[in-house]
Order: sequence, then structure tokens, then C-alpha cells
Amino acid sequence: MSIRIHHVTKRYSRYPALNDVSVEIETGELIALLGPSGSGKTTLLRVIAGLEFPESQGTVLFQERDVTRLSAYKRKAGFVFQAYALFAHMNVFENIAFALRVLPRKKRPPESTIRARVRELLAAVQLDGLEKRLPTQLSGGQRQRVAFARALAIEPEVLLLDEPFGALDAKVRKDLRRWLREFHERIRLTTIFVTHDQDEAFEVADRAVIIDKGVIQQSGTPEEVRNNPANEFVRDFLDL
Amino acid sequence: MAGASQFPIPQRPDTGRRATAESPVAKVLLVGITLVFFSLFLLLPLFVVFQEAFSKGLGVFLKTFRDPYAQDAIRLTLLVAAITVPLNTVFGLAAAWSLTRFRFSGRSFLITLIDLPLWVSPVIGGLIYILVFGSKGWLGAWLSDHGIRIIFAVPGIVLATVFVTFPFVARGLIPLMQAQGISEEEAALTLGANGWQIFWRVTVPKIKWGLLYGVILCNARAMGEFGAVSVVSGHIRGKTNTMPLHIEILYNEYHFAAAFAVASLLALLALVTLFLKTYSEWRAAEQLKQL
Repeated sequence: MSIRIHHVTKRYSRYPALNDVSVEIETGELIALLGPSGSGKTTLLRVIAGLEFPESQGTVLFQERDVTRLSAYKRKAGFVFQAYALFAHMNVFENIAFALRVLPRKKRPPESTIRARVRELLAAVQLDGLEKRLPTQLSGGQRQRVAFARALAIEPEVLLLDEPFGALDAKVRKDLRRWLREFHERIRLTTIFVTHDQDEAFEVADRAVIIDKGVIQQSGTPEEVRNNPANEFVRDFLDL
Repeated sequence: MAGASQFPIPQRPDTGRRATAESPVAKVLLVGITLVFFSLFLLLPLFVVFQEAFSKGLGVFLKTFRDPYAQDAIRLTLLVAAITVPLNTVFGLAAAWSLTRFRFSGRSFLITLIDLPLWVSPVIGGLIYILVFGSKGWLGAWLSDHGIRIIFAVPGIVLATVFVTFPFVARGLIPLMQAQGISEEEAALTLGANGWQIFWRVTVPKIKWGLLYGVILCNARAMGEFGAVSVVSGHIRGKTNTMPLHIEILYNEYHFAAAFAVASLLALLALVTLFLKTYSEWRAAEQLKQL
């Protein structure tokens, strides 16, 4: 699914977190939103998810559909939170099954289908056998993957990841980068992730969108950006 | 090298205790004072209540509760609690929700205002309702024209109790909800849950022990409240007497054993409350640790 963002501005009190931002993301792309902390990259991700709404003039289009004012719960955008936000009182199975259990009665699959679907997702993130564990009984990397499986349960057409590698140690981070890239190659789901680490952005993403002070500074493939930094900020931020 | 020998690090005398720990004498003294205070002002009165209640034997104790006025008082106390506690639970949830989920000006003032009933004397809590609803109050004439009785009647007792027990649920929830944040709710939203589903499946399980803690405290106060209720009740036996007021009347009429018998029932309630409170507090703390 393609995503088109046109002239989005988002203010918290007076200070703009996003200032007239326009981005186009094509179906099946893997995009990194790259920028220093406070640059507005997470706000942009939350606007795409429907967790924040832009000021009056902006629009967000999923494919041809205008979703600008649509609440997150109707958007079907899979979101993986920075600190995972797993449901602490539910085990792994119930965390992943949540999206299926809250479906309207008419669309809700029978219990056997829910079981099969959760098993499938657990296998996809290589966590078979951990259904009964509570989030507190998992390592950081395992929690990350549960959050991932939970977001995939809604069969999203876009996957949004907020600092997906942030809270993990270096070794797990490396594995996860490779895993995300392979996962993307396999299912070609439009994916957008937020990071402040240029190595991460350039190693994993097809294209990086570099943001600072709520404004998009440059957007392009790693080579394009490296060979042709658009301005002083990009040059400085990438240490070129 | 020279520096090290010129300024040797002074060795702390090894007394086997931390620098911030008190001396053994102070320790014994502090623990002693606490224990004496505890037994004199908490355990002894509790013991006396039960001892006096049974001082004339089990027969008198049981007879107290066969008195229709005593039964009416117990019934009224239960009724008041049954109205007040659900009201303040809903209010407390709504207040905690809006005060922790939204940022608006005047927010911290509102949090302070919720505590107001804890600072003012309960008597004032009763008097304000007399000022508003009493026969010489703002709405007094209008109410008596329409044949509505609030003061010296059950509605007044409920109002005064609602006022006094106002803060407990909200106060139990606000710090808990502040610490937990809203990311789980946001996650549920992105997974397609609507507001109702998020509240019951995510928020309530997260806050249930804190909520129970507040409800228990609210209930204990609702059943035990004396001052505010005394002002608006009018002490009409069989009609507007709650358990605490009934105890006072029995005591003033020299029915000591009976007074203490009813009091022992309230004290028992307090003990059960204490147990439930400690348990829910402990579970709420466990729930916070899971973050």
C-alpha cells in the first residue's frame, strides 16, 4: 500500500513538531525516518498510524483513500512501539490474539482459527513454545518479536516501527536488523521505521527520509544521500 | 606517590553499621517509642472495644442487634454505603482518567481540589449542605414548596457522605495511572480495539488493584463517617440514624455494653478493611513492578 502525506503540520502547544511535511512512500518500500531526537520523526510515524492528527490543511492518503481524520483503530496500520507496550497482564498468546478477539462479532474468527493464526505468527517470529509466558518473563529481543507478531495479527497493509532496535543490546540489534531486512524481502510489506542511527537506516532501508526541526531535509537511497547531501545539516548529521 | 602518603584516606572506624544508621541506643529508643505508641493508642482501644462489647456476656451482645433501632441503623449505614461507593467509584475513575490522560490548564489545581474533603473538618462538609438545602438555605424554600426533604433525611446523609468520601478512589488511581502511562492503550487502539474494549480489556486489568484499594477505603469511610453525617441527620431514631450515630446515642444513654457491641461491629469492619487494603496495596505494587 502506498502512503502519501501532503502538507502535514502538527503543533504541540505553539511549537511545531512537523512543519508542512510532504512524503510519498511506494507500495512495498522499506523506509527509514532518520533524524536526531526531537526532530519530529516519531510524530510523523504517529500521524501515519492515526495516533496524532495533523492541523487542518494536511492530508494522509493510504493508496487512494483519505485517512487523515480516521482513528487509529480503523486504519489497520501495524505499529510496534519503542518500549513494545505489550499487555503486561496477558501472556504471549493473548497478546498476539488481542487483535482477533476485539474484531466485531461478525468478523471474529472461531477459537480454533485464532489458535492456528497465533501459532503461525509465533512461528514467523521464531517464538514457538513461549505462548504461556508473561511479557516480564521474556528477554528484550523476545518482547520485541512478540510486539512484532502482535502488530502483524491485524494483517496490516503498512508496518510502522518506532525505534525498533533502540532498547536492545548490540548483538541482538545486529541480528534483528538482518531479520527485518529478510522479513521484508519475503513479504514486501510497506514498512516505515524510525531511527536516529544512520548505520541502521542505511543498512536496512531502501530509502531514508532525513528529518530535522519538523522539516524533511532530504530523501533518497543511501548512495544518493551520501554522495549528494542536500544541505549543511545532512552533511553534518551524517558526518560526511 | 608523595600526595598519597601526605593525605592518607581516613579509615572509618569499623562499627559494622552503615554511615546513615542510628546508634544502637537511638534505635532501641525509636523502636520502643513506636511500640508504646502503637499499643497505647491503637491496640489497646481496639481491645477495649471488644472487651466492653462482651462485658455483660454474649446474651446482651446479641440482644443489642435484635433491637429494631440498631437494625435500622445498620440497614441505613449499608444503604448509604451502597449508594455512595458506586457513585464515588464512577466519579473517581472519571476524574483519574481525565486528570492523567489529558493536559490542560488548571489540571494541578483540580488534583489539589479533589483532596479538599480531607483537609476541611467533616462538620463543614455537613454544614455546607445545610446552607444549600436546609430550611433557611438557598434552595430551602423551593424544596419545601415541592415537598422534597434533603436535610434531616436520607438524601442529606448520602450527600454528606459522598462529600467526605470523594477523594479516595481518585487518589488511589491518579499516581498509578500516571506511572503506567498510556502506551498499552495506544497499542490496543492500533490493534483495532474501540474505546469500550480498551477500557475493559486493557485499562481495568491494569488498575484493578489500585481501584479496589480506593473502593475499600471509600467504603470504610462511608460506613464510619460521624461528623458530616451528624450535622445533616437530625438523629431521628429508626429513620436517620447510622451506626456511628446510633453508638453515640446508646453511649449517651448509658447503654455502654450495647454501644460497644455496635462499635465492635464497626471495628470488625475496620479490621477486614485493613486486611483487604493491605492485600490490594500489595497487588497494586506488584502490578507496577511489571512495567
